[in-house]
Amino acid sequence: MLDFLQAVSDGLLFGATYALIGIGFTLVFGVMHKLNLAYAAASIGAAYAGLLILQVAAGAPPWAVFLCAFLGGGVIGWLVYLTCFHFIPLSNPLAPLMSTVGMLLLIDEIIVHVTAGMPQNYPAMFDDVMLRVGEFTLRGDLLLVAGVSVVCMIALLALLYRTRLGLATRAVSQQPVAAQLCGIRVAQVNAMTFIVTGLLGGIAGALIGASVGALSPLLTTPLTVKGLIVTVIGGLGSIPGAIVAGLLVGAFENVFQQFRGVTERDLYVMLLLFAFLVFRPSGLFKP
Amino acid sequence: MLELKGLSRHFGGVRAIDGLDLTVRKGEIVGLIGPNGSGKSTTVNVVAGLFPASAGKVFFEGKGLEGMPTHKRLQAGIARTFQNIRLFGQLSVWQNLWVAQNAPEDHARRGFFARWLGGQSGVRAEIAHLLEFSGLAHKQDELAANLAFGEQRRLELARALAAKPKLLLLDEPAAGMNSEEIGQLRDRILKLRAQGITILLIEHVMELVMGVTDRIAVLNFGQKIAEGSPAEIQANPLVRKAYLGGA
Amino acid sequence: MDFYYGLAQTVGIHTLLGLSAYIVLLTGQVTMAQAAFFAIGAYAAGMLTVLGGWHIVPALGAGAVFGAATACAVGFPALRVKGLMLVVATLAFGEGVRLFFFNFDYQVAKGEIKVGPLGGEGFRQIRYFQEHGWSTGEVMLFIWVFVILSMAALWWFDRSRYGAVLRAVGEDELAAQSVGVNLTAVKVSAMTVGGAVAGIGGGLYAHYTTHIEHANFNVLLATFAIAYPIVGGLKNVFGTLAAVIFVQAFLIEGLRFLGDWRNLLFGALIVAAMNLRPQGFLGGRRA
Repeated sequence: MLDFLQAVSDGLLFGATYALIGIGFTLVFGVMHKLNLAYAAASIGAAYAGLLILQVAAGAPPWAVFLCAFLGGGVIGWLVYLTCFHFIPLSNPLAPLMSTVGMLLLIDEIIVHVTAGMPQNYPAMFDDVMLRVGEFTLRGDLLLVAGVSVVCMIALLALLYRTRLGLATRAVSQQPVAAQLCGIRVAQVNAMTFIVTGLLGGIAGALIGASVGALSPLLTTPLTVKGLIVTVIGGLGSIPGAIVAGLLVGAFENVFQQFRGVTERDLYVMLLLFAFLVFRPSGLFKP
Repeated sequence: MLELKGLSRHFGGVRAIDGLDLTVRKGEIVGLIGPNGSGKSTTVNVVAGLFPASAGKVFFEGKGLEGMPTHKRLQAGIARTFQNIRLFGQLSVWQNLWVAQNAPEDHARRGFFARWLGGQSGVRAEIAHLLEFSGLAHKQDELAANLAFGEQRRLELARALAAKPKLLLLDEPAAGMNSEEIGQLRDRILKLRAQGITILLIEHVMELVMGVTDRIAVLNFGQKIAEGSPAEIQANPLVRKAYLGGA
Repeated sequence: MDFYYGLAQTVGIHTLLGLSAYIVLLTGQVTMAQAAFFAIGAYAAGMLTVLGGWHIVPALGAGAVFGAATACAVGFPALRVKGLMLVVATLAFGEGVRLFFFNFDYQVAKGEIKVGPLGGEGFRQIRYFQEHGWSTGEVMLFIWVFVILSMAALWWFDRSRYGAVLRAVGEDELAAQSVGVNLTAVKVSAMTVGGAVAGIGGGLYAHYTTHIEHANFNVLLATFAIAYPIVGGLKNVFGTLAAVIFVQAFLIEGLRFLGDWRNLLFGALIVAAMNLRPQGFLGGRRA
């Protein structure tokens, strides 16, 4: 029982990163009604970009790396917007989707090229700290991951519900034509959506790198699949849904890994998705 | 032929249709009018099977339609046109009609193979007839999206006829038409009645409604407030009040 | 000359993969499951010739049947999942099938050695062509017989009422229903036909490479499957063929001199193609 709860708590903490990735997918879908399949790859790419600061200042502290990943994520997000959504007429639903796939492959290959395919060590913070709560052990670095994720989610919700940009974003997601007629520059809002989700993704990528201890281009495909599963389970377009679903998938995955091993773990996550698709296809929450 | 008994349809708190009783007899042309938001299009949508009724029943030729999916209703003999034209823009005029040939008698006459995988030759005559009726023969290979507005409306109607319906639900077919076009539409509707098709006409354009219907029902806020011949409806103070509001 | 035969074989097999996605895309269902049906056809046909001693043609037929049956089974739940959620669901299904084969062992002793699929190691020694003395040229022709038959069949569908109905469903499901089209029958039948074509392609693939494993049937292959019809345009089957030739022949082989960089170019070229010609090489959806 103790093992089970320990697995759940570790899973929940790690699941916070899945929640961030899920939020990125779901926000773009909610605003533009399009899937950005390159998102998870872009997040990992941003995490790699974070490492660039170590090239410049060898002894830089971990938080500097995270900051660099954060900013890199915003830049990459904007680039994905430009290459996949800005120029392609939105009346063609398949073309932007395919373009994001192209970006996914491109980002993957750039990572492989620059690092010659070798996994890169990622700095972690508080990885030597272990908190004991009763019979449980809470890993310090995972607590940081969860903590930072929570801060990001709160910041995002504040942005969406308390700022003019957020208001404009919600308007565009509901009625893009009417929003334009009210003077909202839809292209700008869309670009900002990508930049904001990119920033989030950069953090998520950095946090994943920190909790795993290393980054590898092999992370992108499973992260894309899991991120999409989280998005669907949470309900396409719903941010609270993505948060809850991210935690759920994180916990579920970790529990199955504990009891059935790594190879079967992914199969169970798929089964969880299919269960939702059969019994609750619209997801946990409506957008 | 069509009977609505106590029909209601709610969307959350909004009662789009509220306890509607309406009968359309075979061979009639019945008009359904009312101010915007009175529930006319919703009625068409419920009869066509797009939404289930929240309460009440719909009977077609004596049989209840509950639970019957839209495509089966078409095969039972109910066809409809859309207020905002929903043509298959990327298909040609000819193909739009071809796709819509789903009448059971056609299914019985030609085998499965011929119907689905056969070429165009077997149905040329029938589709040509529809094209003639709608004055679109010269545009048969044109993409539906490239047609002029009036032509698109005619195609929308022709497509509904392709399945040889017994009951035709027309949802504001005259919207955006000029007087001459309305006259042509009126003639076409009368020709359809002469062919034995029963028609329920939802419309705002009074010129058409008054000139072509046998009977009119008036809706306001989802309820029927009046029913009678065109002359009776025009003289009815309740109807005027509903449209013009006020005391 | 063998080099060109090999290239023609690859183009042929990928064309079958692309065609399997083409027919499903016509109905507006974006499917990432075609690689899974391809995999099922591959393992089924391989096992029948290697373990069952079957002749290649009925083995391919069985591959088609297994692919079609699986696709039909997937087609029904797919109806409940709308739009871009279908991408995720089929992606997850594809990964699920891949994981299944990763864990799939079925070995039979043949004389001294054991043959058959062996989980992560894959399925080796699918040597039907070699054992029966087929030359590379003969294999190429054999593959292309199936490609031409499939293209002819799909071309015929396109010209018939079925093709017009498929495209009508892809364009406006509500209108199609309202004129009497049975959406379930149309969408599931398209998925089933796609599954059959993918099954044949997979069977041919298994015998042409002689060694298959789960990693061959990954998200990348699923992406190729839909990339071909999207990049080639959904106007007719030749668009898909053109895209396969463009990608395989021109890109992968012709740019070999670029060495490692050609993979980078692949993603970039997809992005460029979608921006420059979003409707695909041959354009639009009219047959």
